[in-house]
Amino acid sequence: MPRSNNAKLPPLLWRLVGVAVFLAVWQCAALFVKSALILPKPLQVVSALSQLLTTTSFWLSVAGSFLRVLEAFFLSMLIGLVSGAMSGFYPQVKAFMSPFITVVRATPVLALILLAMFWFPSSQVPVFSAILMAFPIMHTSTESGIHAADQKLVQMSNLFHVSKSTIFWRLRVPSALPYLLSGAKNALGLSWKVIVAGEVLSQPRMALGTGMQDARLTLETQSVFAWAITTILLCGLSEYCFGLLANRLSDRFQALPREDKGRGGQ
Amino acid sequence: MSAYVKNLKKSFGSLDVLEDISFELPDSSIVSILGPSGCGKTTILNIVSGIFKADSGSLDGFEHKRFSYCFQEPRLLGWLNAEENLRFALSSLMHSRKDSRDIELRMERFLGESGLLEFREYRPNQLSGGMQKRLALARAFAFPSDILLLDEAFSAVDLKQKIELMQAFLRLWIDEKPSVVIVTHDIHDALFLADKVVVLSQRPARITGTLNIDIPHEKRIFTSSELSKYEIQLYRLLGFDHAGNSAQPYQANALGESKDSR
Repeated sequence: MPRSNNAKLPPLLWRLVGVAVFLAVWQCAALFVKSALILPKPLQVVSALSQLLTTTSFWLSVAGSFLRVLEAFFLSMLIGLVSGAMSGFYPQVKAFMSPFITVVRATPVLALILLAMFWFPSSQVPVFSAILMAFPIMHTSTESGIHAADQKLVQMSNLFHVSKSTIFWRLRVPSALPYLLSGAKNALGLSWKVIVAGEVLSQPRMALGTGMQDARLTLETQSVFAWAITTILLCGLSEYCFGLLANRLSDRFQALPREDKGRGGQ
Repeated sequence: MSAYVKNLKKSFGSLDVLEDISFELPDSSIVSILGPSGCGKTTILNIVSGIFKADSGSLDGFEHKRFSYCFQEPRLLGWLNAEENLRFALSSLMHSRKDSRDIELRMERFLGESGLLEFREYRPNQLSGGMQKRLALARAFAFPSDILLLDEAFSAVDLKQKIELMQAFLRLWIDEKPSVVIVTHDIHDALFLADKVVVLSQRPARITGTLNIDIPHEKRIFTSSELSKYEIQLYRLLGFDHAGNSAQPYQANALGESKDSR
């Protein structure tokens, strides 16, 4: 099929059409419901959001939640990498960890948050819950990544007496990288969702979830929407930034097809 | 001192692959194992190099030898460029700064011999299949070894490149003279390179005969009529008559060739 230069335009166009249709449906539904308390119009949400943007407490909440997400993300990465690597290398550790991982995966996030509220100060409840929800993802990805190295390449390396550490850094880590990156990306997205859900219930100071809950209690539905949209945008933005970083890493370590240099020879 | 492969047997599950394989690998000589595709030639190399264990039989004189191996597939690390791939394989030899310098020179020489010097910064997926093969071959040569194992190393390149590559191989071999085992299904590869050709049957592989080629490597040219005499004998050992038809299973002794001693 011939590809035109603006082959990228249609998807963008369709995306815009998708957004427009979504907004139109929302507007129609709001007109039909006729109650800003139940479903505010898009413009009402925009104005609520623009009002929020001018308050200091909004930005403090953004900063507070963002820091909690970072904390949860890095800790779950660290724990997941270590436990996943251990169970990738040692079948005993894998067997030992598997009941725990299964239970954690099956636990409803809200049950976990409610329990955590007995154990931790309100600002750390979301972080604890997010770590517990996100680290199994990193654990499983790391475990798969450990086994991702092509055995034929390992055989080749052993035949040439390549040292264990060189094999680890130059063969095993690059082979595991796609698994680690996709695990980390999922863990990041989940961290945002769990952190905000945890904040709604535990009500720490300076938190998106707290703002959302306060707006709900004062029946400001358009503000609930505005807080939710903020969360979505922040989550999307951090995933996008992580994606940029991931692409740079993959480019360094992975054999991505690079058309720009062209193929050499025949 | 020669090394000996004695009475190797190997099966994978119920699939018998090798049945009683024996041959001698004299020091600094090139032995070619010639046989139909899928007959178990690669398995012999994998047993010799220690990747697989034989079910029975023995290897004498291979202990404490350093192997280099050019696998059937290139087995390159996709995220490293050509030069880095060589450096990875040679990394165990770099103990000091002087070693590193020697290795770098060696890499440059072998990249040059395989015609890849200007592609040294290309990653495998930016190289053609033939170039990947040449890089794998350069890696095998560059790794200093007592025994060099080549698995279909000269296939997947066009005829001109193949001849150039074989000539380059012989130049390098004359320099360092490792013992070489070349596995191939191509009669011409075997004829051009080998001191001795060991011919295998269909799976399960048995030796149908061996042929010594007494032409010095320096005097071999790809189109020599002398080689064509050997060629006819090889076709016979593979079970073809003069007209190229499949003949009765060949009786090695009838043509004055000796079956490999058991």
